[in-house]
Order: sequence, then C-alpha cells, then structure tokens
Amino acid sequence: MIKIDKKKLIPCPICSAVNINKGKENTCYRCGSAIYHHKKFSTEKSWAFLITAIIAYIPANIYPMLITNTFGTHVGSTILEGVVLLWEHGSYPIAIVIFFASIMIPIIKFLILLYLLISVKYPIGKDKKINKHKLYYITEAIGPWSMIDVFVVAILAALIHLSNVSIVAGMAARAFAISVFFTLLAAHAFDKTLINEYK
Amino acid sequence: MKLKNEAALDNLIICHRCFTLHKEVPMRDGLEACCLECGSVLYRHNTKLLDKGLALSITGLIFFVLANFFPLVKIEILGHEQLITIPKTIFSLMQSGFYIVGLLCMFLIFIFPLMTFTINTILFSLLKLKHANLWTKELLVLLAHIKPWSMTDIFLISILVSLVKLIGHAQIHMGVAFYSLVVFVLIDLYIVKRVHLLEIWILRKQILSEEYSK
Repeated sequence: MIKIDKKKLIPCPICSAVNINKGKENTCYRCGSAIYHHKKFSTEKSWAFLITAIIAYIPANIYPMLITNTFGTHVGSTILEGVVLLWEHGSYPIAIVIFFASIMIPIIKFLILLYLLISVKYPIGKDKKINKHKLYYITEAIGPWSMIDVFVVAILAALIHLSNVSIVAGMAARAFAISVFFTLLAAHAFDKTLINEYK
Repeated sequence: MKLKNEAALDNLIICHRCFTLHKEVPMRDGLEACCLECGSVLYRHNTKLLDKGLALSITGLIFFVLANFFPLVKIEILGHEQLITIPKTIFSLMQSGFYIVGLLCMFLIFIFPLMTFTINTILFSLLKLKHANLWTKELLVLLAHIKPWSMTDIFLISILVSLVKLIGHAQIHMGVAFYSLVVFVLIDLYIVKRVHLLEIWILRKQILSEEYSK
C-alpha cells in the first residue's frame, strides 16, 4: 500500500498516462517520454513562440496576400481588403469564413494565450469565474483553422496562371503561414498542468 | 489517496481537458465514459476498434493515393483549361519562390496525413497479430506528436472556399481526387480524430495482459 497526495499525480503530455510527480525530471512509466516540470522556465518556450507569432502577424496584415495580374496590371490585396472585396461582391458566407479564419481566430488565440501565460505566473485571474481549461481547449480546437487562408492562396495560385490572367501569392502569405505555425507551437508548448497548480 | 502499488496507476485517468482524476471502469460495448466535471469524453469502449481501425486505415491509404494522383479540380477560364492535383499545388508554391509556405503545406497536407495512416495501419496490424511489445510504444509516441498537425480536413474546406471565389469567373469541374479526398477526410475524422490515443493504449494494455496470462 502506498499513499499519494492527489495533487502529485500528473498526466503524461504524450500518452496521458497518470504519473507520480517525483520532482525535477520525470519520465513517463508507460511511453518513456520526459515530463518537464521546470519551476523557473515553465512558460518561457511558449512566450518565445507567441511573441514570434505576434511579430509575424504584423507584416501579414500590411503586405498583399494575393496579387492579381490582369492584362498587365498588378493589383494586390491584403487580408482585410480581400474580405471587404468579397463582401462587396456579395459572397457573404465566404467573406465571413475568411474574416473569422484569418483575422478573428489569430487575434482570439493571441489574447487567450497571453492571458493564460500571464495568469499562471501572476495572481491576476485567480478567480474561478473563468474556466481556463476551457479557454485552452478553445485555442487548441480553433487554432489550425486559420491555415484556410494560406491553403486558399496556394490553390488559387496553382489554378490560375494564364498568360493574361494570373494570381500570385504575396509576401503576406509567408508571414501569415509563419504566424499560424508559431501560434500552434506556442499552444503545444504551453504546460497545461500549470493551470491546475494555481487554481 | 491510497494505491496498492505503482502498477495501479494504470487504472487511473486524468481528464485531458479539466485535469480531474478518474478511475477506469468496465463498460458495456459502445458506451462512452465522460468526465463528471466538464463532460468531455474520456474514452470509449469499443471492442471492434482493432478490426475497424485496421480496415479503415488501409481504406484511407488507398483513397489518399487516389486523391494525390488524380486531378482535384478542373476549371475552364477564358478558353483555357487548368487542372490541379495536390502535389502540383505544393510544387507551384515552391516554383514561385515560396519555399517556407510550400514546405509547411507539404508537411501539413501530404506528409503528416500519410504518416498517420501508415502508422495506424502498422500499429493496428501489430496489435492484431498480438505483437503488442514490438514497436507499438514508439509508434504511439510518434503518432501523438504528429496527430495534431495533419490538416486534410482544413485543406478540403479551403478547396471549397477557393472554388466559391471562382464562381462566375470560370467553369468548374470536380475531379476524381476531390471525391477521394472527401472520403479520406471522413475516414480521417472517424478513425483518427475521434479516437483518443488513450483508447489504443488501453487496447495495448489488454493485449499485453492476455499475453502475460498465457
């Protein structure tokens, strides 16, 4: 018979097996992967990824996402201009999808991750009104969907390249893809067990 | 809290969403165990998971090959015909100098989905042949790493979005690969996205304990 404090049980992030927290470095008994639990550097990795993502998000909104060449004239449109253009043309559902996928979701993710990262270190948000596990789950569920815009640009650029009319991906596609990639990394690097500790 | 020994940890489950501690309970076939706190599904008891998993993984691989070799969409614009396949989409990004985006797309919509299905096929066939000790641990760890990164479902929605953008400018014909991709995504949602990795770990545990009792 062994006695364990309930709070000392932590799940393995890879295989979700229940492990006993033995201090500095644990290895999961089932899958053998390390369960990191640094006291000092618990959130730094996630911070680094998140800041990179936010920096990359700025050029993604300034530079053109799609460049349309029609009979020698180049017209570039940024993400927001693309949404407005779609709205004016009357394709409202698509405008809403693109608006959510490439403007709302990244911003919501940035805000939630910022809030989570700050609240696990500093005592703001110790109130139980906001369910932080739910917030984290939301970021994980909606995160990948912002890739829609990058894929759409890739498909349109591959489909339309005639001599007179062609669509080319713009600088923003690069920045946006990098931004989405790093927000996903930041969400994965976030240590979920920290939320529990500060309940 | 008291436990008999460390092996008894295997019967405990921590909810992946809200970190509440639970104990694994025996259930009837086809039922789901839900978390008391947040209501999310902890695991499902499905005795046919092994057979279904193996069959659908192989089916998925076949449809994935179809989806990659045949034209996805064909459009007619200003009297010209254009068609794309999935590899062509990636290569045209590379050709126009978008190496990072191209590489990212290649991993998200080609390499990772292919890897998840190959791993699933190998994993389920190893478990089916009762070789639960061989490679299965490594494969499950690898699967856990790449599972969140396979994005064929998002790619499918992107195809639809870009086609709606083209309506009125061009004539659109769906290709064979598009329908294969739809089937592939449905299988992916059913056998990869819906099945928690925990269920495969439980399955592995059962097969291992059967081996030991022999």
